[in-house]
Amino acid sequence: MSKRAPPDPLAVLRGHRASVMDVCFHPTEPILLTGSTDGELRIWDTVQHRTVSSSWVHSAAHGIISVACSPLIGTNKVISQGRDGTVKCWDIEDGGLSRNPTLTIRTNSYHFCKLSLVKKPYASAKQAEGPTHESERKSRETVDTERLHDSRGEATGSEIECSTNQEDDTHSEGAKYVAVSGEQNSEVEIWDLNTAERFARLSQNCSTGFPNISTKGRGMCMAIQAYLPSKSQGFINVLAGYEDGSMLLWDVRNPGIPLTAVKFHLEPVLSLCIDRSCNGGISGAADQKIVMYNLDHSTGSCLIKKETNLERPGISGTSIRPDDKIAATAGWDHRVRIYNYHKGNPLAVLKYHHSTCNAVSFAADCKLMASASEDTTIALWELYPPQT
Amino acid sequence: MEDVSNTIKREVETGVLEKVGEVTAAINSAKHVDQVICALHSLASLLFPLDSSLLSGIIDQRYRDEILSTKAPSANERGDWWQAFYRGPAFSTLARILLLDVASNWLACFPLSARKHVYDIFFVNGPAAKVVQTLIPCLQHDGSDGIDVNAVHSNTERLVVLCLLENNGVLQISGEFGISCQFKDSTDECLKQTLSRVAQLVASIPDKARLRAPISLSSHSFFKQITIQLLSGAEERASTLSDKAATFNKSEIDGSLLFTGEIFSRICRRGSSDVLLSELVPRVLRHVRGFLLSSSDAALSDVFQSNPGSEVWLKLMQAVKDPYAGERMSEQLLHQLAIERVSDIEAYWTLWLLFNQIFNHQMSIRSLFVDKFLLWKVFPVCCLRWILQFSVFKCPPDADPLLKEHDTHGFLDTVQRLVAVWSKREFVQSAPMEQQAYVTAAVGLCLEKMSKEDLDKTKDVMHSILQGVSCRLESPTDLVRKMASCIALMFSKVIDPTNPLYLDDSCTEDTIDWEFGLSTPEKRTLSTSTFTEKNLKETKTSLTFVPKEGPNCKLNDGIDNNVKSRKKKLSDFKSIDPDEIIDPATFNYESVSDQDDDNASEDSDCSSDSLQPYDLSDDDNDLKRNFSQLVDVVGALRKSDDADGVERALDVAEKLVRASPDELTHVAGDLVRTLVQVRCSDLAVEGEEESAEEKRQRALVSLLVTCPFESLDTLNKLLYSPNIDVSQRIMILDVMTEAALELTNSKSMKPKHQTKAIISTISETQPWFLPSSIGPPGASTWKEVSETGTLLNWSNCYERELPPKSSEIKRGKTRRWSLKSVNMQESQMEWSHNKFPLYAAAFMLPAMEGFDKKRHGVDLLGRDFIVLGKLIYMLGICIKCASLHPEASAMAPALLDMLRSREVCHHKEAYVRRAVLFAASCVLAALHPSYIASALTEGNLELSNGLEWVRTWALHVADSDTDRECYMMAMSCLQLHAQMALQTSRALESPESTIKQNVIGLPSNPSKGTIKIPYLNVEH
Repeated sequence: MSKRAPPDPLAVLRGHRASVMDVCFHPTEPILLTGSTDGELRIWDTVQHRTVSSSWVHSAAHGIISVACSPLIGTNKVISQGRDGTVKCWDIEDGGLSRNPTLTIRTNSYHFCKLSLVKKPYASAKQAEGPTHESERKSRETVDTERLHDSRGEATGSEIECSTNQEDDTHSEGAKYVAVSGEQNSEVEIWDLNTAERFARLSQNCSTGFPNISTKGRGMCMAIQAYLPSKSQGFINVLAGYEDGSMLLWDVRNPGIPLTAVKFHLEPVLSLCIDRSCNGGISGAADQKIVMYNLDHSTGSCLIKKETNLERPGISGTSIRPDDKIAATAGWDHRVRIYNYHKGNPLAVLKYHHSTCNAVSFAADCKLMASASEDTTIALWELYPPQT
Repeated sequence: MEDVSNTIKREVETGVLEKVGEVTAAINSAKHVDQVICALHSLASLLFPLDSSLLSGIIDQRYRDEILSTKAPSANERGDWWQAFYRGPAFSTLARILLLDVASNWLACFPLSARKHVYDIFFVNGPAAKVVQTLIPCLQHDGSDGIDVNAVHSNTERLVVLCLLENNGVLQISGEFGISCQFKDSTDECLKQTLSRVAQLVASIPDKARLRAPISLSSHSFFKQITIQLLSGAEERASTLSDKAATFNKSEIDGSLLFTGEIFSRICRRGSSDVLLSELVPRVLRHVRGFLLSSSDAALSDVFQSNPGSEVWLKLMQAVKDPYAGERMSEQLLHQLAIERVSDIEAYWTLWLLFNQIFNHQMSIRSLFVDKFLLWKVFPVCCLRWILQFSVFKCPPDADPLLKEHDTHGFLDTVQRLVAVWSKREFVQSAPMEQQAYVTAAVGLCLEKMSKEDLDKTKDVMHSILQGVSCRLESPTDLVRKMASCIALMFSKVIDPTNPLYLDDSCTEDTIDWEFGLSTPEKRTLSTSTFTEKNLKETKTSLTFVPKEGPNCKLNDGIDNNVKSRKKKLSDFKSIDPDEIIDPATFNYESVSDQDDDNASEDSDCSSDSLQPYDLSDDDNDLKRNFSQLVDVVGALRKSDDADGVERALDVAEKLVRASPDELTHVAGDLVRTLVQVRCSDLAVEGEEESAEEKRQRALVSLLVTCPFESLDTLNKLLYSPNIDVSQRIMILDVMTEAALELTNSKSMKPKHQTKAIISTISETQPWFLPSSIGPPGASTWKEVSETGTLLNWSNCYERELPPKSSEIKRGKTRRWSLKSVNMQESQMEWSHNKFPLYAAAFMLPAMEGFDKKRHGVDLLGRDFIVLGKLIYMLGICIKCASLHPEASAMAPALLDMLRSREVCHHKEAYVRRAVLFAASCVLAALHPSYIASALTEGNLELSNGLEWVRTWALHVADSDTDRECYMMAMSCLQLHAQMALQTSRALESPESTIKQNVIGLPSNPSKGTIKIPYLNVEH
């Protein structure tokens, strides 16, 4: 094993005046979206490492909890969630955000749980599309080199993907949803982003006949990940982590009864992330563990794959790179840790931030990683770049 | 009848005298050596049984008949003649002729056998005591009557050797006295006088012998031989006496023993007690060992007393009347026994045998053992044990402790006296270290024998011990503190044997080393030998270990490998094991991981290389809250309840201060105060007090260096403030010392001034004491060449690098593209040395101000003497740091003034005196001679008085101080003073010439790299 020193950040983005809560790469453009606790949403150019625009999207008193964008809701859309009980949807215009949100959802929930857009696995996308698309996608996927032949090729590739996603959106309406922790803190609510109406409520308090699912109070919902499993015929599944360290898996078709309940953690689950194929994920909590797990949708079970013990507690953010090779965690101990997602072994401990890290995120092209920290900086990292 | 015998006697006497007169006349009128021989022979044949034929071959025919014709008298007649000759004045008359006239005129011509038979015979066959009394005065004959002094002296020496050494004359003398004693009363004054006179004469022989005298007359070998004679005679007599024990008068000492005693005391008086004892000790030991082997029962003392063979030893010391000699002998005896490494029992009985009687009867001997040997002398510890055993415990060391027959009264009395001396503060202050260790050992050994009841019987032993321990624990010397803790341990064992008190972690072993490492040389060799033995053992054991370990390791490796391979196999078999309890989760995990592994191996060609882990080591240094502002540091230090915060503040304090931020000047005072008041020992984790303390001190030093004035202001206020304790005061002084040193060595780089200015100034930019900078261009600046090792460095050498001349450029293999001087870079920078003088006044003056004031909690002259010592040391360092700068000259008078104040320089504690000597030496070294010279010429009395005081005081200390280190330091101080005086006188003599030399001398030889300034050079 080589004893290389862990890398330093490629760049450090400074400009926020308060703790940076969330970070999100744009799916296609080389821009980065960040939100801080004083309500400022900044857009950064990840090539030039400069601020493109800055706007106050939530009140300074409440601040932003989460910033998200996804090809499924449109590449020109950004969702911001504030602690003022609203989720706002913005358009990205050239040079910044639209003056006013295109949509405001009043969830009336005041908490720390980050919202989740619906994640769609490649497999399901493949299924949903016609055979021509499928072969084309297959070729692109298996031969990674093609995608990165040159920057133009990549750009076009992304565009194609994005356009197909758009098609998917149009095909499956259900994808334009957002899952948030509800007004009742223990509930998960799913809102329709088109109509700004509540689509479903997933309550854990309903009575179930299943003996393996405890009906005891699990406390607040702390982390949510919504996704579209390949076999659900376009119905959203939601994985939610709770205050007591348990995780519930829901199918929207059956909002009364969760598919499964597991308890990997001893402390509140703070972050969840699901990989590209939606067959597994990683979770971080306030205890000293990182858990990697597998999701089996056929049996509706969640099984632990690898449990990593840490020296110090608190993982506030997790992320898996879109190529499923590595995963990153943002820790209260100021560290960003990198793991091999397949084997679960640690790869690096990144020390740059000198305050709590709040979030990590990977770019869609797998080249960059961004970490956001309470020290008001965002660090850009280049780790194990995909081979060309 | 008596009349008849008397008349016969008288007739014989007149006959003898007439004959002697004839012989004398014959010698005086003799023209030939044979005439002399004939004359002497005629007398000798009357006195001694002489075979005349022995002489016949060596003398002329004319006289041969004469000799052969002399008729020998009968044995009875001869006896009468012999008696008359030696008892009367005849012998001395003849001896005078023989020793002076014959010896100088004729003896050289005597044939060898003639010399033996008609000359030596008068001395050899006479009564030794009488012979000695006539012989020895001639050793110093002054030769005023025109005789050959050399011949007389060498002949007399020859006769002395012949009579006293070769013929056991001394033994004969003692026998004669022994016999005369049996007739007369031994207390007879006349006899005593003769006895002591003879002894005196015999003992004085080595002194009277000339330089060229035979070696056997040198004091060492002469005393040795007469000691052997006397001792073997005494032993022989003892053995003969043992047969007729009844006749031996027990209380009386016979003349021969008396004479032996006299001789012994003279030998001791003449400083040869070692020779005496080296003969005596083996004999006594042989005697004692013989008894110890033969008799097993405890009542050895009775056995000794009843045995007549022991009598001579029992009475020997009684015969030595001279108390001084007795003391020397007993001292030497103890040392010899220690060298012989005899066992405790043997030593005890040896002492008992020799000293028991006089110890019981003579007050002086008792006080010698109980007082002098315990309190004033220093013996090895084994001797101390014997002394205590013999004189205080009064029982053999193997005696049953339960049967305590010794009088506890005397024992406790001694203990009380010992402890009283031991506990005195003056004793701690003034006694030499060896003495202190010795008395401490005595106290400790006594305490070993003490019980709780004994302690209760004494009045103030407990009090004294506590007092002594407490005043020792304050001492700056480690050894003294160790003594205190040892005594405390012993004392605690007396009070409660089950609960010993360990004041010190180091002395946890059961046996205490009462030598305290101050052992005598013999002892040391012993210890080293045992040490090496131990080492040998250790190495042996380790040797035996090593080969064991080697294969073990290999074995382990092998096992490891085996285990590994077996594990692999096991994992292979795992899935087949039917009894395995399958945990679904683990099963799942394993299957998944297997699957993943497969996956990984599948796409390993693209990913495994890129996913090499980085170094995963992690530490949590950065997670602790770090202070970035000095204000925060001050705040954290004040929160004494947050130990962690204080520790971290201490961690960063130095770094922050060294960065020298703008606000430092405002915070410095506060920071200094808080740093001084932080209680490191309370806060730090067990075992880490040292490092915390060190951090604190370094932070303070950095403060003093970066921001001297503000910090010093606060520190000096704190130094005499009643709110801090001694340790903090000491810490402050330590910190100031270190800061002064650091300021002295500080180097700051500045871009060099271009010296080739258009307008040349007369005054140079560099300090006055450096040589002038005239020289070829490109020369570097002057640097002082420090002479390592010596504290004071009078020969100030400066050197600088000069650029090579064009002719001197060497061609090397490396090609260089310019002729630039190698150290061009250096020459552009200027090293500025020694920033200290600027701050010297701030360092020294406030500290000197208040040392003699006694306030609440501050008593430097009394209780807190360690602080005073440290303070003076600090001042010494300061003046040394300002060495040869004008500031030193300004500070020196003030410092000397402080040093010479009576309470300081005559302080009771050697620690303070040492510091004063150090500071005085520093002053001497720091002053520039030219300054002293100018002070003298200008009549600056303050300085010259101070320097004179240093000299007289150092002389006084070197003369009379009890502390060894003090007088050693005083000696070196005097040496420095002499050097300084020499320098000053040179500076006074030729101020003009030196200046000229200085200016002219420098450029004269610029080719040399090093230029020594002539007038500063001193040949040590």
